[in-house]
Amino acid sequence: MQSILAVDDSASMRQMVSFTLKSAGYNVVEAVDGQDAYEKSNGRDFDLVLTDQNMPRMDGISLTKKLRDNPKFKTTPILILTTESSDQMKQAGRSAGATGWLVKPFDPAKLIEVIKKVVK
Amino acid sequence: MEDANEAQASSAGGTLPLLAAADLQDHLMTASNDLDRLQTLLSDACDTLMQRFHGASEHIRTLRSQPHTMEDDEAVFNDVMQNLGGAVTALQFQDMASQLINHTHKRLRSCVDRLAREAFADDEDGMAAAEEVPLRPNPVTQAEMDVGSIELF
Repeated sequence: MQSILAVDDSASMRQMVSFTLKSAGYNVVEAVDGQDAYEKSNGRDFDLVLTDQNMPRMDGISLTKKLRDNPKFKTTPILILTTESSDQMKQAGRSAGATGWLVKPFDPAKLIEVIKKVVK
Repeated sequence: MEDANEAQASSAGGTLPLLAAADLQDHLMTASNDLDRLQTLLSDACDTLMQRFHGASEHIRTLRSQPHTMEDDEAVFNDVMQNLGGAVTALQFQDMASQLINHTHKRLRSCVDRLAREAFADDEDGMAAAEEVPLRPNPVTQAEMDVGSIELF
């Protein structure tokens, strides 16, 4: 079963994301912010990281940069799911090494479609 | 000699520079607009949730009340899942609403602190706390619960 690391500081968003991913057959590990996700990524393999942008302690773009510094996550798809929709922020995400930028609210079917497209 | 923009405007408790008053007016207007947006987001999410709830219930009721085939089951299952998907989208209002509230709270708090500094010099607890106004715009720009865009790099 493929594993996804889902990162969001909002408990309700984590529930919605987890419900969607688990319904589609993925194993989900939840993290409450970038720092928590970074710690949980240590010693574990994930097929995809789905992260929020604005979070306490460590945001999604900083998490993406830190994960890309780890050879294990060099090619792992990282999707940023956020309310932010400015081109400037998207560019920052792209430069950090994100695979894609998804603006909230998400549609479950479309989210799964995108995940299937980027997860090998 | 004071700059024209720094001219003093009279107020009940003292004086407030016009520039500061204009700045405060801008912040309060933005906060008011953000609250309007919050109201729209909440009612939009509530309407969608009700529609999806009734949609799913109706499909299940139809399935229970009429004789059906395997194909019917499959079609009803897909319809129910579609309604649940719509509910999942609408349920994301809590995250967006709390970000809007948090941002507006910071903006209003900074107005209070600015007023305390500019008009009253001190507040009752001593010097007013200097909380910076958020420089970046509100992260929530959506006014409705429409599905957001997707961009793969």
